[in-house]
Parts: sequence; C-alpha cells; structure tokens
Amino acid sequence: MTFTRRTLLAAASATAILAQPFAASAADLPKNIRMVIGSTSTGGDTYQAASIVADALSDKLGVNIKVDAVGAVNGLKALERDKRGTTIMLFHDFAYLAELYGGKGFVNPFEEYTVGATIANNPGNAYLVGANSPYQSMEDILTAAANGERVRVAIQPGGVSEIGFSAMKNAAKVRAPGSEENIVPVNTGSQSDKNQAMWDGLADVINGSIQANEQFTQLDGDDQKAMRFVWITASPETLAEAPEAGMGKLTRDDMLDYASPKTSVTLDGTQDFTFDKEFFLIFNKDMDPAMIDTIDQALAEIYEEGEIQKKETAAFFTPNFRPSAEAREHLEKKREIYKKVISDISG
Amino acid sequence: MDILSFISPLFVLLTVGGTLVGIIFGAIPGMTATMAVAVCLPVTYSLGLDNGLALLLGLYVGGISGGLVPAILLGIPGTPSSITTTLDGYPMAKAGHGEKALRIGIFASLVGGLVSLLILDLFAPTLADFAIKFSYVEKFLIILFALSVMAALSSDLLLGIFSGFLGIFISLIGTYDVTKGGNGEWRLIPPGTEYWLEQGFSLLPVLIGLFGLAAILDEAETGMKAGMSQKDVKIGQHEKFSLSIFKGQWINLIRSSCIGTFVGILPGVGGSAASILSYSNAKTFSKNPEKFGKGEPAGVMASEAGNNGLTGGALVPLLSLGIPGDSTTALLIGAFTLQGVQVGPLFIGNNPVTWDAMIFAMLIANLAMFVMMYYAIRYFAMVVTIPKYILFPVILMMCVIGAYTINYGIMFDVWTLLIFGIFGWVMTKIRLEVAPFIIGFILGPSAEVYFVKTLESFGDLTIFFTKSWIAVFLWVLIALSVGGSAYLQTKKK
Repeated sequence: MTFTRRTLLAAASATAILAQPFAASAADLPKNIRMVIGSTSTGGDTYQAASIVADALSDKLGVNIKVDAVGAVNGLKALERDKRGTTIMLFHDFAYLAELYGGKGFVNPFEEYTVGATIANNPGNAYLVGANSPYQSMEDILTAAANGERVRVAIQPGGVSEIGFSAMKNAAKVRAPGSEENIVPVNTGSQSDKNQAMWDGLADVINGSIQANEQFTQLDGDDQKAMRFVWITASPETLAEAPEAGMGKLTRDDMLDYASPKTSVTLDGTQDFTFDKEFFLIFNKDMDPAMIDTIDQALAEIYEEGEIQKKETAAFFTPNFRPSAEAREHLEKKREIYKKVISDISG
Repeated sequence: MDILSFISPLFVLLTVGGTLVGIIFGAIPGMTATMAVAVCLPVTYSLGLDNGLALLLGLYVGGISGGLVPAILLGIPGTPSSITTTLDGYPMAKAGHGEKALRIGIFASLVGGLVSLLILDLFAPTLADFAIKFSYVEKFLIILFALSVMAALSSDLLLGIFSGFLGIFISLIGTYDVTKGGNGEWRLIPPGTEYWLEQGFSLLPVLIGLFGLAAILDEAETGMKAGMSQKDVKIGQHEKFSLSIFKGQWINLIRSSCIGTFVGILPGVGGSAASILSYSNAKTFSKNPEKFGKGEPAGVMASEAGNNGLTGGALVPLLSLGIPGDSTTALLIGAFTLQGVQVGPLFIGNNPVTWDAMIFAMLIANLAMFVMMYYAIRYFAMVVTIPKYILFPVILMMCVIGAYTINYGIMFDVWTLLIFGIFGWVMTKIRLEVAPFIIGFILGPSAEVYFVKTLESFGDLTIFFTKSWIAVFLWVLIALSVGGSAYLQTKKK
C-alpha cells in the first residue's frame, strides 16, 4: 500500500475533524496541568484518588495532567500563585477542617479558593480498640466516660483523624454533660504511631482505617497486635455503595454494623454524627470560570460513561461526583455541621 | 516455593533495569532512591504486582547503593544515608585511592544487602513483634545513641558538639509537624520569613549545599586546580585489590549489616541513622579509631554495609505490620494499593507467591548492583580526572536541579541550597564542623518528637532509665560511644 500526499492530507483532515469535540471542550485549558495533592505520600488514598481522576481527565480532554504529592501547605501555596489553570488541587475534608481546628497557615477554602467538583469518598475512616479491651462498642466507651472513666483516644490532631474524636466528645456531652472531659486525645502522628500507642498501652481507642487496620482485626485475641473495630464514621448511604465483599474478612454488612444507625454516636440527641472523607477539586480563586466549567463538563461525561466508577470501587472508594456548584453547597453544609461540633465541645 | 510461577525474563529484566536506574538516581546529588521509586510508581499499575515490585525493589537497592559514588569521588553524599561514606571515602579518593574505596563500598553494600535479605526471609514476623516493643523511650535512646557519634566525628570536641547542637536547632525551625505527632505550631521562625520557613529547611538541599556547594566555594577561594590525572587516581593500573582488605573486618561488616537491618525494622527512626550508627560502632570498637575520618577503609565498610542493611530491614514492618520502615518503603505501599492488595500482619501468609517474588527480586537486585557497579568502577572513577572547571558547573547544575525537584518544584529549596552552601563555607572559616552539624540536623526532629512524646506519655524523666532492659542496654552503648570519644580526645591532646 502506498501513501500519496492526498491520502495523507485526507487522513490528517479526518483526524482533525474527529478530534474536534475534545479540542473544543479543552480549548480553554492549558496543555499541561499539574494536579497537586494535599498529601506528601504517593502511597495514600489522596494520591490514588487523584491518579484515577487525572488519568480520566487527561484522556477526555486531551491534556497532560501530572499528579504531584506536595502536601497541604505547599499545595495551597502553589495554587495561590497560579491563576492560569496550570495548577489545580485535589484534596479532601482536611482542606476546611484544618482551618476549623485553627491550623497555622490554613484558611477557609470556600473564601480563599474556588472549591470544585467532588469525585469520590473513602468510606474507611474508623476507630478501633485492642482485642482484649473492655470496650465492646461505642456505647461502652460513651457509658464509661459518663461513669467518670478516662478514655484515651489516639489521633493525629487537626483534621480527618480528629473530627471523629470531636464527635465522640460531642456525643458524650449530649448524653451526660461534663463527661466529654473524660474523653482525652493522645496526639500521635502517622497510623504507625497510633497503632504503637495502643500496643504500648498509651491509648484505649485509636483512629485508623479499614484499609490499614482490617488485618489486625483478624489476628488471634492473644496477639498483642490484635484489634477490633468499634466505629466506622461513614454514612450508611456511602457504605451501601461499597463493594459487597468489603475488605479482607470485613464484609459490607459487617461495616454497616459499625456505622450509623447500628452504631450510634449522636450529633444532637436526635440524629447521628457521620463523616465521609470526600475528595474534591480546588482551584485558584481567580482562575477563569470557563476552565472550571470545562473540567466539570468533562467529569460529568466521564462519570456518565461509567468506567471510572469501576476503577474507584476496585480501589475501595465510593464514586461521588457532584459538579462544582452542587459540591460547594454540599461541602459548605458539611463544614457548618463540623464547625458547630468543634465549637460546642470547645465550650 | 514455585519459582517459575513468578520468575520470567521480564521479571529479571525489570529488576536489573530498576537497579541500574536506581544507581543513576543515587549517584546524582539531590536525587534519591525515594525519588526513583516515586517516579516509577505509576508505571507499575500496568505491570502487575510481582513485576511492578521487581522494578521498585531494583530501584530501591540501586538508589541506596548509588549514593556511594559521589560520596567517595566528589565528597558529596548522593543520598542522606551515604553521609558517613563521605567521611572516609572522600579522603581515600583525594589520596588517589578512589577506585579502591569504591570497591570496598560496593562489596560492603552487597554484604549489607544480603545479610538483611537473609534476616528478612528468615525472621520477618518475629522481628516485627520485637520491633513493636520499641516505644517512644527506646526510639529516643536510639536517636541519642546515633547523636553521640557527633562527639566521635569532632576534631575539637567542644566545637563539634556545638556544631551538632546548632544543626539540631536549625532542624527545628518551622512547623511542629502534626503528621509526626506535633501540635502544628510554628517555632523559631524569624518574623517576616513565615511564608518560606513554615515547612523549615528541607534535608537534601541543606545536605548538598553543605557538602557540594561549600566545597566548590572553597575551591574557588583557593584557586581551582585541574582534576587529577589517571595516574594520580591509579585508574587502569590494576591497583591491587583483594578480599584480604576485609581481613579482621568481617565482624565490622556483619555488625554494620545487622545494625542497618535493625534500624530499618524500627519505623520512624529513619534511614540515615542506619549508616550513622554503624559508623559510630565501627569507630567505637576499632583498634585504630583515630584513623576514622581520615581515609579509613573500615569507615566506608561500616557505612555502606549499614545503609544497604537497611533495605531488607525496612521491608520487615512493611510486610509484617503494613507499616513502612523508611520513606522509600512508604512508597511501596502505593504499589500494593494500586493492585488492590492489603498489606498488614497477614500479608506474608496470604500472599506467599508475592512474598517469594520480593525476596528473589531483592536477591537479583543486590547481585545486579554488585556486578554493574563493580565493573563500572573504572568509568565512575574517571569522574575525578575531569577538569574541575568543567566538573564543578555540572555538579552545581545537578545540585540545583536536585534541590528544585526534591519537593516537586519549590524554589525556596534552591535558595536553601545556596544559603547552606555559603554557610558551609563560612563554617570552615570559623572552625565549626560540618559532619556533626549535618548529623544534628538529620536526627534533631526525631529526637525532639520522641523526647516530647515520652514526657507527654509518661510524664517523668526517670522513665528513660527504667522503661525496659532495652533502654538500659542502649544507655550502656551511649556511654561507651561518648566515653570512647572523650578518651580519644584526651589521648590526642
């Protein structure tokens, strides 16, 4: 087969015409985009969620998107410097919780940045006790606090790890005012430190996750490392989207046993506190809104096609696409609830 | 074990290729094994778990090993874990024994890698159970033990220890990091510099500034000489090298390998502590401690056996507890997550094939590292024959690129490199000592966290002496190390 100049010209024209919808939709976006994330780990859930959505957006928009694990402070600084749209951020609820907890250098992202679409939840945020702990459930823990017993909870302060702890204190206060003083934090760092705090007998309860801690719950009760779940903070709606087989030996039904409404940590005496760790995009405040619309539209098409949901579910995320406007409203509502919880327990 | 179920030409190729790329990353100042693994992590998604791990483990072993090349030939540690290699390797190179120092380092790296692999294969779950007996108290004492090497490295005890404390002080500038157990508050930041110093100074720009840029400034001041000739560095003259150089050093090699492995097993202690502790021990138990720091082969052996010993050790908590032993193995978790595999206490039992594949990949990577580096030595060593007016601009450029990329494009890291380059040059003028300073800088943050956490948890200083027999044993080692250094200083005077 020989290629004449005319054939090549026709092929090039056909390619150009076929590529037109993508080129048009991506017309406003830079060709190279850096997606910074609020974590310095490339082994964690934020990096994973970002990689999945960056790949899908790259394919859909025909642009190159690279994920950089720069961490929260450096990520927000990079975003602040760049209004051209070459830097965007993917982060989770820490983005606003850090400011609510008074984290140095953190601002309200809803005021200082443009919060964009949500893309997925990680339903794994959990609290655990040692296998031989006298506490069988959250009910036991809150009752112990009400009876004047000191319950030590290992957390990493100032974000996702602390919000469940704040909710425990809040529930204790609602049930028996004053008993919240008996739920005390043990400030640790990484998951390894929280586990170690339990093994050293320095903490009665630890914050963890289904992904990181499930195997410890399968160990023999005599093993110093063995643990038990007592609370999974995700909402039942989110957990209903998780794979039926769950993770390891923890099936979805088991997860639901540790979550509201079966495991109740009250918010105000009438409804339960729940917390879904949600991943969402953040943009520079002055970034062209047309670019954000382009990304929203591309995401809508990607989620409509359905492939990304399979990837997210396989990685133990629950898909959760909301376009920017809807996401902002949802997240701001969520922020208000947590703001009240934090303010109530602060007295 | 059915080797054929995972060994394939692709598996071997990926391991060897990964090792080669890792060596290159490790050999460029500012590039690290962690960076090599981070860059290649997304590729593993399409390779499958066993092949993906083969690539990453090759990068890990290669990256840790490659750091010895610039440490010995240029006096710039390629990675933080090769700082102590610089202390004796560079004086050897300056004396024209660069090739010999490289051979010693490479052989010691192989021994360290294989010993740690053996320990990993035979004792992983048992050692993980032992590791969790190390609480904040014991971890602080290990860091204190590593810090005691500051005394051993000082030419002048008082100035050396002062330099070390200055390093600790500067390392604490910035946020008391919540991810390490801190409270998120800012400390020691001069007013008006909060924007830049919020995260403190990054280690690698400080390291390559102090060792790389400062040396270039020093040469610029004294007048740059041309590079050494091939004759000077004894390249191609078949400088006699035989295993007899390790005579009387096997205990040093095995002890250093075990120390490296042991440090790797303890999450949070940090990879650099492995080579520092090995070096410190080698000096403490040496018959010629006064030769350390002046081109003593035993120092290179200890440092390299220690940092390669780390490779197997750091996999113990990762594969037995789901907890990474160092920053590079923290990235390996990503490879498992990408493939949907849970890492935790049941990993080895639930995934025997992957476990065997990892052991074989580590074995192949260590052997490949040895073969590639050993036979490339004469080409590596020729670096020092390049005229310095060509070599130094290239090193400077690599340092700047390394500093800029270490945190994915933070310009302040380049300024850090320049600031500490000038500071390192000034230090020599006012007789402050670089080696204790950098050791203080590396270990300072961990020392602070473990000390504060101990007091927060136990509320009493006596716990450092009464917590366990391990604590008592560590105090004995600290006393031996400090006492030995003090004795040597007195003898010198």
